[in-house]
Amino acid sequence: MNFNGSIMLVDDEAHIRKFISLLLRHLGVSKIFEATNGSEALELYKKETPDLVMLDVNMPVMDGIETLRALKALNPDCVVVMLTSLANRQTIDEAVALGAANYIRKDAPPEEIGRALADTIDNCFEFDEPEA
Amino acid sequence: MDEPLINASIDLKGRRILAVDDDRINLRIIGGILRHEGYEISEASSGEQALELYASFQPNLVLLDVMMPGIDGFTTCRTLKKTYGDKCAPVIFVTAKSEADDVVMGFDAGGVDYLTKPFRPKEVVARIRTHLSNQQLVEQQKHLVTQLSKANADKDRFLGMCAHDLRNPLSSIRGLAELMAEDAIGELTGEQKEIVQTIHGASQSMLQLVNELLDVATIEAGHLKLDKKPTSLSEIVERSVHLSNLEAAKKNTRIEMVKANGSPLVDIDRNKMRQVADNIISNAVKYSPKGSIITVMFLSDETTAGFAVRDSGPGIPESERHLLFKDFGRLSAKPTGGEKSTGLGLAICRKIVEAHGGTIGVQNLPERGAEFVVSLPLPK
Repeated sequence: MNFNGSIMLVDDEAHIRKFISLLLRHLGVSKIFEATNGSEALELYKKETPDLVMLDVNMPVMDGIETLRALKALNPDCVVVMLTSLANRQTIDEAVALGAANYIRKDAPPEEIGRALADTIDNCFEFDEPEA
Repeated sequence: MDEPLINASIDLKGRRILAVDDDRINLRIIGGILRHEGYEISEASSGEQALELYASFQPNLVLLDVMMPGIDGFTTCRTLKKTYGDKCAPVIFVTAKSEADDVVMGFDAGGVDYLTKPFRPKEVVARIRTHLSNQQLVEQQKHLVTQLSKANADKDRFLGMCAHDLRNPLSSIRGLAELMAEDAIGELTGEQKEIVQTIHGASQSMLQLVNELLDVATIEAGHLKLDKKPTSLSEIVERSVHLSNLEAAKKNTRIEMVKANGSPLVDIDRNKMRQVADNIISNAVKYSPKGSIITVMFLSDETTAGFAVRDSGPGIPESERHLLFKDFGRLSAKPTGGEKSTGLGLAICRKIVEAHGGTIGVQNLPERGAEFVVSLPLPK
């Protein structure tokens, strides 16, 4: 994958973080930050300003939609991809309305997740890619 | 006379009967007969009093004299029916003579039966027993239906929650195993790779089962939402054939597609109909002997469009036909390449196709194999 930026992964479930982060490493992403909930994610975002955020929807304390709103308030240009389990049209529409770049089903096979992520990166970072 | 007049299996002792008559003697006679049967009796001497008593006594049955001063029996009955609706106790009219007009008016007013004076005790007891039993049976049925539908809804909710909570960890297990098999954390030895592939295969089939259970739960709970758009059915079927080709190639099976003459647009939910096509075509691959040919055809007439899939499997035994489109309806046929079956796939297909107003059916071919046909209504 043609991406040398950093990614912050936010999910309360350890196995999802393990799976997605291994997949990201496998795809050649070297800078990965992990947060286990919304407020942790906001702290980490302020500190590291990752290029892309992969954000779980269902989390205790501060859910994905709330976190998305807060992230967009911090930086309206931050690129956020929602991680969903069952595609819930209403939540997806809400996230897109709040400025999420895409959504990815985290129960999809690795190849599909990789493809969706690559598409998002192509769409959101086309002017930032280094010239070959 | 110590034994009740009629024996019956349903225990009706303690049931409440409201007897209404302006004639005290009649009330005393009927009261005597009924108390002897073990019923609890409350007496009213007018329609007005009956309406008042009904509320506090909550009878299971009302014996109502027709001719009374003040409001008559018919009016009293209509008032009761109007006030209590479906929950109103059955009303039996009491008339001095069985005049045809009285009887008809009584039924019109909402009565269930009538008794004539002078009373024949056996008749009184038998009729009252019949109506009390009927009423009790109806109540039991209603109660049972309520309980069952609640239990069914609980089951679906439970299944849904269960499947939902199993899904994420399972997909992580599958994904991690797949990445490991691809040497994402370094090169594995032959045996390590084999183990990781086993984990991947097992979690993959569990995930499929969980997904199908979740589909069933969603559909059963009435939450199947179709996102219908005019879509080319042949495009969907061609995609499924393309996907199944990979599995087919492993078994040296060939899928032949008879191209459609034109491709009518059908109002369907693309993803759901993909699921149907995937299922039927992959089933054909699953149950056909290695090295056989599967034929996929498109069918259309003025009002419907559909597709047919012919396999060379063992066909559907007549004795198992009724199981085919049912939940967990696994038949005796075994997949020919060691594939897995949950017994839910075709049940889900049927539910999806029917939700589209279409039909799904199967027939055995004269030589060998079965033909599955999906037919969908064309937009008018």
